[in-house]
Amino acid sequence: MAELQREFDKRDVQVLTISTDKPEVIHKKRGAHRLKARMLSDRDLAVTDAFGLRNQLVHSGPPGDDVEALPVPTTLLVSSDGKVLWIDQAENYQRRSGPEVVLAALQTYLD
Amino acid sequence: MKKMIANRKKMGTTLGFVSLAVAILTGILWSHQINQVAIPEDRTLFVAAFLAATGLGVAAFAIGTRWFGGIPAILAIAVGLFLPFTVAISPQQVAENPIRVGDTIPVFTALDDTGDRFRSGDLDGSPALIKFFRGHW
Repeated sequence: MAELQREFDKRDVQVLTISTDKPEVIHKKRGAHRLKARMLSDRDLAVTDAFGLRNQLVHSGPPGDDVEALPVPTTLLVSSDGKVLWIDQAENYQRRSGPEVVLAALQTYLD
Repeated sequence: MKKMIANRKKMGTTLGFVSLAVAILTGILWSHQINQVAIPEDRTLFVAAFLAATGLGVAAFAIGTRWFGGIPAILAIAVGLFLPFTVAISPQQVAENPIRVGDTIPVFTALDDTGDRFRSGDLDGSPALIKFFRGHW
């Protein structure tokens, strides 16, 4: 997603990521993402549940981690007044959309 | 008789190595597809190839193998079973009322990676891309 940074900047898009990782784990791993994003920790899935995105099927989280579930991988594009413009969701976690799908959404909804 | 047993073990050992080769090759192709973000929707061929590796590994033991053929066979059985298992548990399903296009996002707050609190109100006035993901996992 880092290759889209210029596209985000051009449209003044703030990027947020949400995972159940602990803040310190996110901090340690964030170099790998090379993304100028606010990376949030949702240990208790409060944000995930507020969006209704908790995965209801097999947990498949990291062994030994006490987190209850994981979110379904989902990307949302939100307008400046807080409305959801576009959603991309994985039906299974092994398949996910590439950056070109996000770029198309930026162009369709924000240009 | 002895020669026959030796021949069988030779065949079993070869099968052990062949099974591992199938597992490794399929595994390499699988991780290549992951890196390209291009795991196909229909993963039947991958699952079949992994299970074939397991089958060959089991066949190596059934025929009889030397100890050094048993090691690759065990590895092939393990790899061959593990990946189809992850395929089986990979489907995802959200709760009954997930957020939809047109909805207003809920008010939320969370800590970021530096321990600072983020509030959804901070987004006011600019569009946002919000990405829920599986974390480092």
